Amino acid sequence: MAMTDTDPEVTRVATPSAAPIAIPDASADETLLAPFRIDEHPQGGFHGLLEVIPTKADYVLDLIRANSLWPLLSGLSCCAIEMMSTATSVNDMDRFGMFPFRASPRQADVLIVAGTLTTKMAGPLVRLWEQMPEPKWCVAMGTCTTSGGRFKRSYSVVQGVDRVMPVDVYVPGCPPRPEALIHGLMRLQELVKQRRGHWRTYVDRGPQRLNWEGDVR
Amino acid sequence: MTATEPREGRIPDPIDLDAAEEARLRTAAGIAPAVATAAGAEYAGFEMVGIPDRPPQTERERELFTVDEGEMLVNMGPQHPSTHGVMRLLLKVRSEVVTDLDVVLGYLHRGIEKLCENATYTTVLTYVDPMDYLSSMHNEHAPALAFEKLYGIEAPPRAQYIRALVVELNRVFSHGLMMGFLALDMGGITPILYGFINRDEIVEMLASISGQRMLFNFFRVGGVNWDVNDEFLSRLGTWHSKQLRSIRDNEALLTENEIFRARTQKMGIISREQAIQLGVTGPNLRASGVPFDVRKAHPYAPYAELEFDVITQQAGDVYARYIQRIDELKQSMHLIEQIMDKMPHGPVQAQVPGIIRPRPGRAYAAIESPRGLYSVYAISDGGPNPYRFRMRDPSLISLQVMPTLMPGHLIADTMAIMASLDPVMGGVDK
Amino acid sequence: MRLLTERFADAAPTLWTDEDTVEITIPGAGAADALRTLRDDPELDFWMLADAAAVDYGPTERFEVVYHLYSDRHPAWLRVRATVSRADPRLPTITQLWSGAGFHEREMFDMMGIVFEGNRDLRRLYMSPDYRSFPQRKDFLLPDDAADSPAAGVNPLERPETWDLTRFAALGPLNPLADAGAPTDASAVVADPAGEQPEPSPVGAGQTDASRSRPR
Repeated sequence: MAMTDTDPEVTRVATPSAAPIAIPDASADETLLAPFRIDEHPQGGFHGLLEVIPTKADYVLDLIRANSLWPLLSGLSCCAIEMMSTATSVNDMDRFGMFPFRASPRQADVLIVAGTLTTKMAGPLVRLWEQMPEPKWCVAMGTCTTSGGRFKRSYSVVQGVDRVMPVDVYVPGCPPRPEALIHGLMRLQELVKQRRGHWRTYVDRGPQRLNWEGDVR
Repeated sequence: MTATEPREGRIPDPIDLDAAEEARLRTAAGIAPAVATAAGAEYAGFEMVGIPDRPPQTERERELFTVDEGEMLVNMGPQHPSTHGVMRLLLKVRSEVVTDLDVVLGYLHRGIEKLCENATYTTVLTYVDPMDYLSSMHNEHAPALAFEKLYGIEAPPRAQYIRALVVELNRVFSHGLMMGFLALDMGGITPILYGFINRDEIVEMLASISGQRMLFNFFRVGGVNWDVNDEFLSRLGTWHSKQLRSIRDNEALLTENEIFRARTQKMGIISREQAIQLGVTGPNLRASGVPFDVRKAHPYAPYAELEFDVITQQAGDVYARYIQRIDELKQSMHLIEQIMDKMPHGPVQAQVPGIIRPRPGRAYAAIESPRGLYSVYAISDGGPNPYRFRMRDPSLISLQVMPTLMPGHLIADTMAIMASLDPVMGGVDK
Repeated sequence: MRLLTERFADAAPTLWTDEDTVEITIPGAGAADALRTLRDDPELDFWMLADAAAVDYGPTERFEVVYHLYSDRHPAWLRVRATVSRADPRLPTITQLWSGAGFHEREMFDMMGIVFEGNRDLRRLYMSPDYRSFPQRKDFLLPDDAADSPAAGVNPLERPETWDLTRFAALGPLNPLADAGAPTDASAVVADPAGEQPEPSPVGAGQTDASRSRPR
């Protein structure tokens, strides 16, 4: 209305002829972030968090993860006894924070595959691995899980657990001494702190269709 | 199969609800109504698989998979907190009471018998170690005896005594671990720690002569590989003077424990006739009253010269099997003392060529392992490899007791009974 | 032992051999009856079945099911060998005598394919139920060497060209006699003009170290 134009009480709104609001463009960030290029890095990528630059908080998080890795109780065979021996009083895994062997994969961080993996057990084990929430790591303990071990020519042994799941640390031995397993777990802790494991690059195939016997079909 | 009612005085009868009452209770509690889904349908993002997704192959399967009203099939899958290894139990339960049970094996089948047919006689002794991995010395003892029969030789006396010594040490720590696993399966965590302390002491002792903590490659056909050395003797003396302190601590925790007794007595009773019928051997058989011990029935190596008697219990329940193993453990200590007193001097290995081709023949050798009668049947055809190498593992046969024993017990007793049978999956699945 | 063979000679016609254990060979069809006699006869009294095994004598030969029995009265093990033809591998079950033979028979069925008539639960024990072969038969062959099998090299640990040896550069040169320093990446190994590096193992040609480990 013409009234508003001559009304002295109304202040004038900025007209479009004034300077526009400066919207910062992304080209400046390009040069800033070029050294990192996290989305192109093979072990990087945005996972829904704004983790562009590792911060001190990330360092603390990694330290927390490394020092309280909870293993899944997945002892298959003889190496399981040595794993239990590592976990008990004489060689104590509790000083690394690994005492609670969780029975449920939903609560576990590390899958220490201890013992021979057979073709019948491969299905359930892969299912366990896929049920574990990320971040997760896998330790292949013993020569049977590294490469088939002493059962190299057998008709029913999977020749190395890395044929069915990604492995971060291999601990050779038949069975590895508790000291060797602890060495392997300390290397795993270094991997965790440096974020060098497989869990960022592993492609999850989704829930598998298994038959009644638990075999992968 | 047999009893579907719970044993008297243990738990009250299961509540039988009709459909209207159940619907009312569910709405009151805020639980979703029970939806019967057909096989192939999808429920909450999961595809329902028919149970089982193939028709039953045998009569027994048909009987097992016929689920009555109020019954449920529960799968204690290959990965479960019980530490016996990978075994699968299919329980048919009616509200916590087990009515039927099926044992699914093979998750650790490594084809050892077939591998041994392609290996020389000495290599076979390395293949058999990881079978019953808690008693590796026993696993090697029987093939060594069988092959010696094929070769027609005998181990020198010192080797026989060393064999008996390591075999009894193996029995000591295996029985000690059984006590620990029995308590662990029932929820007690301390006894297994004691069991592993004991095991670590003994296993370091055995590592000082055989070089390995667990899968000792110690036996050779014709004797043992290395003689005892000073380190072994000093460790043995230290351990002996401590008189099994950790085992005694374990006993003090468990044997007079009210809760342990309530959970193990009158549970899982195997009668004498049942035990013989089912082929159970070893401490399980002797706990049911049958005085059968291979070391007395067919004495091998030095056991004919050692003094010991066959211990039996009469009750046949879980508690009796536990007490039986403790008594055998102490008996093994006495045997070790006798062996150390009587050990002769001499060579520890007979003169045997590297690759030997024995005459064609068949040999059978049986020994007493901590789980029962462990035997080897070997056939030779004159070549460097055995033609057929068959191992009879006691744990496999003891597991047949489960479907007969379990109906009428609660799910929680399942683990106690299984731990008392002490199966080791490496031996069960070969 | 002599006593035992004499006592059994008045039963059905059998052959016997004599060792530390006493051995009897019978045709397969009569196995269950013979074992029943052995168990129930008060003088023989073989109350314990120690072992039941199956033997395959060759791709064209027979099977044999071998039972080992124990008795308190006799000092030797008794071995009962029941011959079974390969074309029709059936045998009556002994689960009615000893229910503990159930798993033995399941294992024999699984590994050899011998069918036990009357066994209420004859399914595979070790292998998956849809497994089609019988592993312990003599015509089921294991690969001679895993390095020859088609699955060789699937595992990156079995392929030396994928090993990252640069991590060990701090330890020193691989061959102390070679003059050149450790290469920084694998491609430098092949294109070395001075020829000072040791010859790379010809993994790409399909020859692994395992193929040179014994004379072929």
